[in-house]
Amino acid sequence: MPESELLEQQLIQLGRAVDWPATPRLRVEIPVLGRREGRGEGRPAWLDALLGSPWGRPVAVAVAALLIVAITLTAYTPSREAIANWINLHVNIQRVQQLPTPSPLPSGTLGSELGLGLPYTLEGAQNLVKWQITVPADLGRPDAVYVRTLPEGGEVTLVYARAPGIPVAGQTGVAVLVTEVRGAVRADYFSKMLGPDTTIEQVLVRGRSGYWVAGSPHIFMFQDASGQPYPDTLRLATNTLIFDSGNGTITRIEAYTSKERAIQIANSLPER
Amino acid sequence: MEGRPADDSELISRALRGESAAYEEIVQRYQQVAFRTAYVVTGSAADAEDAAQEGFVKAFRALDRFRIGADLRPWLLRIVANEARNRVRSSGRRHHLELRLTEGFRPGDAAPSPEAVAVASDERRRLLDLVNSLSEEDRMVIASRYFLELSGEETAAALGIPEGTVKSRLSRALARLRARVEEAASA
Repeated sequence: MPESELLEQQLIQLGRAVDWPATPRLRVEIPVLGRREGRGEGRPAWLDALLGSPWGRPVAVAVAALLIVAITLTAYTPSREAIANWINLHVNIQRVQQLPTPSPLPSGTLGSELGLGLPYTLEGAQNLVKWQITVPADLGRPDAVYVRTLPEGGEVTLVYARAPGIPVAGQTGVAVLVTEVRGAVRADYFSKMLGPDTTIEQVLVRGRSGYWVAGSPHIFMFQDASGQPYPDTLRLATNTLIFDSGNGTITRIEAYTSKERAIQIANSLPER
Repeated sequence: MEGRPADDSELISRALRGESAAYEEIVQRYQQVAFRTAYVVTGSAADAEDAAQEGFVKAFRALDRFRIGADLRPWLLRIVANEARNRVRSSGRRHHLELRLTEGFRPGDAAPSPEAVAVASDERRRLLDLVNSLSEEDRMVIASRYFLELSGEETAAALGIPEGTVKSRLSRALARLRARVEEAASA
């Protein structure tokens, strides 16, 4: 065997004895929104036409808003009855008190069922976004980090399983979510999307304007990086502190906690 | 069809029809080589994991542009390696790729005598030390071609260079390694 071939053979043998890091089981979440973007497959033609037209996005937002109002109205028993009377539906709507039942904690990576995107290390997430991700000193390093490519510019969520003085949300196993996203807070956007069981209070967070939303908010509408309204889901549907965190980024802190405690966490974020 | 593993083209067609299990099978099939390729590029297991993961998501999004009948592996590796290079570029740092040997022989190897094991391990360790002493560029091309056993096309994809450059770079890297082996032998 020529000497060059011998060395090549030795290298191949050597390669088989290399101690590679263990291959992780990749968790590839199929991104539904990106799935057929290229060809518009899997989407009705009328929806393609609507989204492709210049007025498509405002119309889509308006339709989404109407849907939310309709769902809220029908979920609220008195208005459900009023609607039934109005359309002359002669049915008896029985009120059944549903007591909350304790749910087992979910399995898998913390927060994986909340639709927060793909899990990353903090460093890996930092490589994906253009702004400096900030971690509240009060909570320390997060237990899990997720990144979504939407809205424009990306969204990073830090997930905490435990936080001093804050109970864990039984159904999710999560105590606190800290979400950062590119965009600007527009109170006129999101105040209209909140239900009757929610209150908004303007607060000052680190010298900047912020909002304390108490109750069970589900949707947070803000102005995304492209200047368009973007409806985002509040994953824990609980008290939420929302504020401009500088550099064109919004921070949300979702937790079953008081306004004072949420502001305390916000104040422990390093200054950008 | 039962009992026979589906070929890549079949899995791609099923994934394009919206069968997510088919794409999961593709991920399982190639995750090891993709992760290791990303590791060779980034030098960090954490970065390699992120790059492989994001690479597979991007590959899924681009799946409808994949030419059915073409070889899937180099296409996937190109996407994952691009992702890995982007991470290195955007973070402005690259971890030093330092390879180590596994302890002992792998299952399936013929049972050697203790002396043979000692000699072989020692030779391997010395050769790996010499590989590790080469430049980053030489190490990466040797690791891709011989340690990962990638084809010329796949090595080109992993390193982001033309296939012709792989040949010349590999030839120079081997010459430098050979010189070091001879130097070490005569010392």
